[in-house]
Amino acid sequence: MTAFLPVLILLTSLVPAIATFFLREESARLRNTFSLGGAVLKLALVGVMLVEVAGGTVYETRFAFAPGLYLLLRADALSLLFITLSAFLWLLTTIYAIAYFGTSSDLSRFFGFFSLCVAATTGLALSGTLITFFIFYEILTLSTWPLVVHKGDGASLAAGRRYLAYTMPGAAALLVAIIWLESATGPIEFTIAAPLRDLDIWSLRAIFALFIAGIGVKAALVPLHGWLPAAMAAPAPVSALLHAVAVVKAGAFGIVRIVYDVFGTTLVDELAMGLPLAILASFTILYASARALRQVDIKRRLAFSTVSQVSYIVLGTALIGPFALIGGLVHLVHQGLMKITLFFCAGIYAERAHIHRIDELDGIGPRMPWTSVCFSIGAMGMIGVPPIAGFVSKWYLGIGGLQSGQPWVIVVLGASSLLNAAYFLPLLYRMWFRSAPGATERERPREYPLGLIAPPVITAFASVATGLLAGSSLSPLAWATLIVERYYLP
Amino acid sequence: MIAGPLLPLIALAAPLVIGLLAALPMMRDRAIRLLPLAPLGGLACAFLSPLDADTQAPDMLLGATLGLDASSALFLGFSSFLWLMAGLFAQAYMGDTRKPAVFTGFWCLTLAGNLGVFLARDVATFYVSFAAVSLASYILVVHEGTERALRAGRVYITLAVLGEACLLVGFMIGANAAESLLIADIRAAIAGSPLRDPALALLIVGFGVKAGLMPLHVWLPLAHPAAPTPASAVLSGAIVKAGIFGLMVFMPVDGTIAATGLGLTAAGLATAYLGVLLGLAQANPKAVLAYSTISQMGLVSAAIGAAMTSENPAPALLAASLYASHHGLAKGALFLSVGVVAATGRRFLPLVLAVIALTALSVAGLPLTGGGLAKTALKGQLDDALIETIVALSATGTALLLARYLFVVAGQCSSDAAERPAALLLAPFIATAGAALILPWILLPGFGGIARGYAFAPGTLWTGFWPLALALAITGLAFALKLRAPRIPEGDIVVPLEHAAQAAVSGIRRGAERLRDAPGLDIDRLLSGLDGLERVEARLARWSVSGLLLIGLVLAIALALRG
Repeated sequence: MTAFLPVLILLTSLVPAIATFFLREESARLRNTFSLGGAVLKLALVGVMLVEVAGGTVYETRFAFAPGLYLLLRADALSLLFITLSAFLWLLTTIYAIAYFGTSSDLSRFFGFFSLCVAATTGLALSGTLITFFIFYEILTLSTWPLVVHKGDGASLAAGRRYLAYTMPGAAALLVAIIWLESATGPIEFTIAAPLRDLDIWSLRAIFALFIAGIGVKAALVPLHGWLPAAMAAPAPVSALLHAVAVVKAGAFGIVRIVYDVFGTTLVDELAMGLPLAILASFTILYASARALRQVDIKRRLAFSTVSQVSYIVLGTALIGPFALIGGLVHLVHQGLMKITLFFCAGIYAERAHIHRIDELDGIGPRMPWTSVCFSIGAMGMIGVPPIAGFVSKWYLGIGGLQSGQPWVIVVLGASSLLNAAYFLPLLYRMWFRSAPGATERERPREYPLGLIAPPVITAFASVATGLLAGSSLSPLAWATLIVERYYLP
Repeated sequence: MIAGPLLPLIALAAPLVIGLLAALPMMRDRAIRLLPLAPLGGLACAFLSPLDADTQAPDMLLGATLGLDASSALFLGFSSFLWLMAGLFAQAYMGDTRKPAVFTGFWCLTLAGNLGVFLARDVATFYVSFAAVSLASYILVVHEGTERALRAGRVYITLAVLGEACLLVGFMIGANAAESLLIADIRAAIAGSPLRDPALALLIVGFGVKAGLMPLHVWLPLAHPAAPTPASAVLSGAIVKAGIFGLMVFMPVDGTIAATGLGLTAAGLATAYLGVLLGLAQANPKAVLAYSTISQMGLVSAAIGAAMTSENPAPALLAASLYASHHGLAKGALFLSVGVVAATGRRFLPLVLAVIALTALSVAGLPLTGGGLAKTALKGQLDDALIETIVALSATGTALLLARYLFVVAGQCSSDAAERPAALLLAPFIATAGAALILPWILLPGFGGIARGYAFAPGTLWTGFWPLALALAITGLAFALKLRAPRIPEGDIVVPLEHAAQAAVSGIRRGAERLRDAPGLDIDRLLSGLDGLERVEARLARWSVSGLLLIGLVLAIALALRG
């Protein structure tokens, strides 16, 4: 059975997705059973796989796709970092989404695509070849679009249009890069060093740039980030998943694969492409933070914060050094936990108190304590306040920058911490220290149902626990260290 | 999982658990009663935990190491004692305060951070603790919720966040140079780093914010008066010491960076004198005390700077620890006295004022008081005659400033002439003052390297006495001539700084507003022209079409997978 484990894990999301499409709108209970059952089963299977992979097992499953083309599902430690995050957050987001939508319409469509989106993310994490990666990358794009436009109003459709307008050319760039590269080297598997040096240096640079441009759209690298703030028109569970796991993380994960598994650090060094990428990531970090300052809509501010934070992962990848990579990889998890908390909370504010803008947050803290405490934890974690997880990422990135001989990185990190504080602390101040305008005790918004409140409480708790117990052998940090020790250290 | 003595971990966990207890519904209204329990673990740890036996908790943070040496045990001990006394004082002072649970929770978090700073042996634990003490104490500062408290809080949090960012970057450079997280390793390695100068500058700024090193001191005169009195006492007595302690453990003392040491000495001495001058122009008793703290911490910073240039730094640092611990207790007592005087009528006021005056004289270094001993020990470590005279003269300033305090605080006594302060106000105040007077007598041989008998030597008595006589003469003269000090707003340069900060923020905002997505990438507008696309889109948006399309795609993949 172990040989099929990667396929099984993929199917735990894919089967509920397909099954849900055939369900009628009224069969809510069955639909929820499919989604939740798949998510729980997946989490259990991922747990099994984590133990095995920690022991040194590598899963590989190959399928002939067309003559000369095959799909390769391969579960290594890096895949599992991403899969574990997505499995855990998928379960919580499903619970949240069920509570969030209640009895609104078009839910079979929603949950079908929702599961499909997670299946695509899983496939992407498991991809062992560039072609496999590309296929899942595209399924991800297509399955996310219906989620973005779910509300069906003008703003959602515009956001969806913008999303496709960015991702489709991105996909084209990625495809061109793959074809260009593979026409010279043959099919590329991530674990097998391809004879890249057959190509001349400028072609390689161009291909690298095309890869980054293609995948950078999803990772929301400036100037390819425009779709992400627009996509906040989507319902809260979608934003939560989009910002924490699915799309932006797929981009960041893809960049790690390209730098480390397709080109390899030596070649990236020779091509001198690491530094430009690090500079682009740093620029994104600072630029998006500055943009976030000006946003008055909570979700838009969070969206720009995501643009900034995801580039931490890219920065860690581009710096090419063990500590930097650990920092980047662990931030993949940490940012996911903290940002999903923030979006869960933003959704609760919108649903229960009709709060969308920052100036409407005045005095909400004592009135919605559970939500507000979670939001505060997420926001402080983003700033890098220890012991919440964010500081662990920052620490490793900073040391990594110094190790790679790029001391300016710590200036970027320091400045970004200050900017993060500048755009998050005013929110906390409003929530906890301003008094609510004309609010009386009787119109206190209720925090219900449990399905809406429990997920952010769990993720906020996890954000603190992953930072507080970062040294534990079960922490994301330990796993990221294992990845780096196992694969990328000579 | 955990190796070594458990007591240090208990000392940190106890306040955190108690802080969480305060959130329980049954405890909420009576949460203040929990305050005295929180520092007991720290106090026990300071006395009972063996020195130089580290506690390892590899699962915590980045692998936490806790431990004590003579100096940090002293910091831990006197801070815990002060927190305990302030917690008892709060029983009488804050019995019916607003939001008792919130205050208690953040009091305990600040306390845990404060103790963690002294217990940490690795930089991650230190950083976490320092952040806890810096950020959680914000809630103590703004507790009253008044406009004044909120403004003080704004200034405080801005500087605290800035300080945290500086420390983080400085710590990263240090840890990278040392290839270790242990503070001792970082201290040894940081002087060899190519980024030595920026790293040291950042650390001095980061710790200087907390220790009130000018010009980073502006938060103290705002925050101390704004906070409730027990909180002011721990702010000035214990929390400020976290910055001093940071300088003591992170500044390299191997003599390789004499220039930085000299710079720190100069900045410290300037702070010591400017603090006095600015403090004399204050009308609020707590603001006067805050400036006195700034001035005194300037003196300790100068001593640390001197240790950096010295060939034999260890005794200098021990003497600085002794001085800091005496100041922590004495200044804690003086802050508590603000609350005592407010509850004392004219009839009993002279008794209270006498205790205050004795404590104040101790801070100014009156011979045979605890402060006098601490000052003797500190001066013994300064090899430069000029600096020694400067330090001696600063005692005159301190005496003047505290005379000013006595004068303004006496004016705030209760209007009910017969009112007596409650026992729970008076006892912690007297106990803290007593501890300040006695503690250096016990510790003088160990920390000052001086026999107790040296305190009675005529030379020692004279060098301790003349600055105070001078202060007495100046005070008498000022009264005789009816001299009035000019009024300077609390926080002095904070007013122009606030304006500058506001201008900078709005500048950044305006700049950020101009940032737009590159015009070439506004694909949205490009697409809006194609209305055909919208029809396609509207169709796709219908569930049946898009679902079927996707199912087809999924089936294709599923087939491929099966094949």
